[in-house]
Amino acid sequence: MEKLDVPQGTLDLMILTILAREPMHGYGVAQKLATLSHDHFQVNPGSLFPSLYRLEQDGKLKAEWRPSENNRNAKYYRITAAGRKQLDHHRKRWDRITFAITSVLEGA
Amino acid sequence: MTVFHRLASIVRWLLHRNRDEQQLDDDVREFIEMSVADKVRDGVSPAQARRLAVLELGGIEQTKERVRTSRHGALLDDIGRDVRYGCRMLVKDPGFTVVAVLALALGIGVNTTLFSAYNAVALKPLPVRDPSSVVRFERWLQSRSLGNVQYAFSYPEYVYCLDHNDQFSSLVAASWAFLSLASPQDSAATEHRVGQLVSANYFADLGVPLLVGRGFLPHEDHTIGDSPVVVISYRFWQSGLSGDQGILGRTIRLNGATFTIVGVTPQDFTGTTVDVVAPDFWAPLSMQAQLVPGRDWLNRPEQRSFQIFARLKPSANRSAAQAQADLLVRQFASTYSERDPTTAVTLQRTTYFPNTDDIRFRALMAAVMLTVGLVLLAACANVGNMMLARGAAREREISTRLALGAGRARVLRQLLVESMLLALVGGCAGLALAGWTTKLLALTLEQNAMVIGGDFSVVNLAPDYRVLTYVLTIAIGSGVLFGLSPALQLTRRDLTTALKSQGAAFGYLRESRLRNLLVGTQVAVSVLLLATAGLLARGLTRSQVAEPEFETRAVFTIAADFGGIGSDPTGALARKKRLLEKLREHREFVSVALGTRPFSGTWTPPIIAGNTRGGTLASYASEGYFETLGIPLLRGRLFTLEEAHSNARSAVISESTARRFWPDADDVLGKSFSLDVDFRGTLEQFEVIGIVKDVRFANLTRLDPAHVYLPAGANERGSRAFENGSFLDLLVRVQGDRRRALAAIETTVASSDPNLVPGLRLINLEDGMVRVQRTLSRTCAMLTATLAMVALTLAGIGIYGVIAHLVTQRTREIGVRLALGADTAAVWRDVILRGLRSVVVGILVGLATAAGLSALLHQTLIFPGSMDFLYGVSFYDPITFASLVAFVAAVAVAASAVPAHRAMRVDPAVTLRYE
Repeated sequence: MEKLDVPQGTLDLMILTILAREPMHGYGVAQKLATLSHDHFQVNPGSLFPSLYRLEQDGKLKAEWRPSENNRNAKYYRITAAGRKQLDHHRKRWDRITFAITSVLEGA
Repeated sequence: MTVFHRLASIVRWLLHRNRDEQQLDDDVREFIEMSVADKVRDGVSPAQARRLAVLELGGIEQTKERVRTSRHGALLDDIGRDVRYGCRMLVKDPGFTVVAVLALALGIGVNTTLFSAYNAVALKPLPVRDPSSVVRFERWLQSRSLGNVQYAFSYPEYVYCLDHNDQFSSLVAASWAFLSLASPQDSAATEHRVGQLVSANYFADLGVPLLVGRGFLPHEDHTIGDSPVVVISYRFWQSGLSGDQGILGRTIRLNGATFTIVGVTPQDFTGTTVDVVAPDFWAPLSMQAQLVPGRDWLNRPEQRSFQIFARLKPSANRSAAQAQADLLVRQFASTYSERDPTTAVTLQRTTYFPNTDDIRFRALMAAVMLTVGLVLLAACANVGNMMLARGAAREREISTRLALGAGRARVLRQLLVESMLLALVGGCAGLALAGWTTKLLALTLEQNAMVIGGDFSVVNLAPDYRVLTYVLTIAIGSGVLFGLSPALQLTRRDLTTALKSQGAAFGYLRESRLRNLLVGTQVAVSVLLLATAGLLARGLTRSQVAEPEFETRAVFTIAADFGGIGSDPTGALARKKRLLEKLREHREFVSVALGTRPFSGTWTPPIIAGNTRGGTLASYASEGYFETLGIPLLRGRLFTLEEAHSNARSAVISESTARRFWPDADDVLGKSFSLDVDFRGTLEQFEVIGIVKDVRFANLTRLDPAHVYLPAGANERGSRAFENGSFLDLLVRVQGDRRRALAAIETTVASSDPNLVPGLRLINLEDGMVRVQRTLSRTCAMLTATLAMVALTLAGIGIYGVIAHLVTQRTREIGVRLALGADTAAVWRDVILRGLRSVVVGILVGLATAAGLSALLHQTLIFPGSMDFLYGVSFYDPITFASLVAFVAAVAVAASAVPAHRAMRVDPAVTLRYE
């Protein structure tokens, strides 16, 4: 099956949603994204990294280093209050967009 | 997110960059480890799992680079890294860096020098408070005369404007500068000092703070002759009065009258005069009769001796103010009869020099800037070529960077940052160079000014923010200019070819054609540059021995205030003639004449003679003129006394004039020609009565190609601005004891017209005009010689660099050919000849362009007044041309031979293995 590209601007939304449930390492986020999208999305981890770092730099995520399952130091991301606010905001917008698009598609 | 937050995060990140780099590395590695662990659990072999994990991620370094570039502040950081990297690259290749910086410094330096001069002359405002609200009155005349006469207003006009305007918060009058005989109170020795008469509000209203003491009090210009007070300049205080601390209240004598010193101006205040002089003292205009004796500057409306400065009211609108000034001056003009009616009055922005918005000045400036711009362009082209040649050697580095995931834009930016660095270093060096050359320029100007009585110290050439901005702009512009094209070419390369077969040569035919073009262009430009610089340098060295061919050492001109700009010229002529008669009484000492002063500019009216139309130099001569200047008569006769003072239609011509216009005539005497004296198409007929020897009258660079001398009387009775004797100067040739002769002249002047004494100066033609010409051409010669040296160096290095690089690239090809059993001599021939082909084409193109340029130069030489910078050196000077062709060819051969020799010594097996 051909994989889909992540629609522009939604990667942050998905990352925040995933991290809102529990703190996670970058690899975990990538895996979760694949599972939750039923492998429809083609998320190149190479583009996940820049998003994570930017969100961290913007204060939406907070990172902490703690031992991973392999007993090595790994970077775990946790959502911050600002991150939740942004998630909320983006989520509402996304809902409106999908609602609007669905309405158009079904009404036509 | 707030801007502050973002900035803070950038700063934090910049501060902790090293730690962050480490963490990023750990983070990405951990990602791979987790991914590998998962895959191994799914049954993939560890090695395969690792490969897959990296592949999925899209490369470790690539990912890290993406994170870096997507971070805020990444650009800043990248540029910082680029700068550091660029510095390393520049230091690593000092030869290249030094030559490039030198070339740029030269180009930028020349431009900056000229801009500094332009800035000082046309952009810097007057040294007054809030200069933007100060304007200068400028009048436009029916005769369309331009120049200082446009700034001349009479005192009654000033008073009328003062009384009737409501747009200006103040009006200030300042006279022309004049010479005055000054002596400190306790000394009998007198010296010339430059003075200026001003209205009492001059210092207060223009806003010039005094260093010591006070400016003039409001009442000090009210009563005629009542306020013998002066403000002196810092320079006068230091040099003439030895910096005396108790200077205030001291007195000095000026033209014999006693004045009290009330103030000293600051060191950097050089006055506001329209003419190029810095006054030594200022006095209230009520003291005119004492300081400028025998003249009336205050009562006659046609005696225009003042410039008017005005400060606009804060509420005033400039165009309304201008309309009012125009109205007032023309209203006043209706109360008397103007000789040359004023058609308009405008308000001019006060720059240091007047007339800088004159279209002719701007055209001249544009032409000069264009020329020096070309020098910079040539420097940029040279550096660009060197960068391209050097860049080719860096292909591998660049390809590697591109292959490792750096975007093209990223590499491009890095290369540009490198060029910018180079350009900025070049700019700094250029600025330093300009600092030095402006000093040299100022010195030359000052030396020249001293002999002609001007004073260029008023020109403040010190760089200000405008000059710095200019340097920065042209440096960055040059950086883009020479950096962009090589950077684009280098980053365009196909990755795999460059990595695999760099220098393999066989696949590089198309490329090598481009390189050949490069070499050809480089050679052509160098040849042109060398030809021009070489010829100029040779020509100008000749100038030092050029002689005017007439007497200059014993001849003096009498400079005095006969009545300058803005006054009635007939009075001035009358004074000169009276003095001429008096001096004639001393035949044992002197011979005297009235006529055009040599080296005083070129007046070249159109002439029709025989069947030829053209231009000719023209001068006016009284009786005795040729004897005074020592110009020998070859045939015919000179002007008689009667002819010289009448409007006689006879003329004396130079031998080359005769040859040029009547090439076939046996006897030119008695022939006639017509001259369009005023350039308006009104032809006047003159008959040739004598032929004199050719001299270098207009300038030292060459014998006048055509020169006609007209009777002085013809200049006396004109109605035009330049007539009425304003072309006539007093020329005196002294005989016997020079000191006695000069003393006799001074005594005669004093007895004939004592008012001339304060401004009297006897200027020796040799020490004055001729030396100005020699100094100028010596400066030019020095500059062109330097230019020629630099051109030689640049051309040598540029040609060598490009060719040697091309040959080095063929090392492998040469190795292969030798390994396959090629004949050494054949390889030699091939390498050298192939290198020379484009060089020969370049030389030919360069010579052809030089020949074109020479044709252009010869066109300008047809104009009789033009300078011949070659001083008679033929443009097709075989020595210059042969030696420069030999030089270029030798460099080219060496550039091919040295790397070829090296290539052939390498064991073919080594080259092949490398491949």
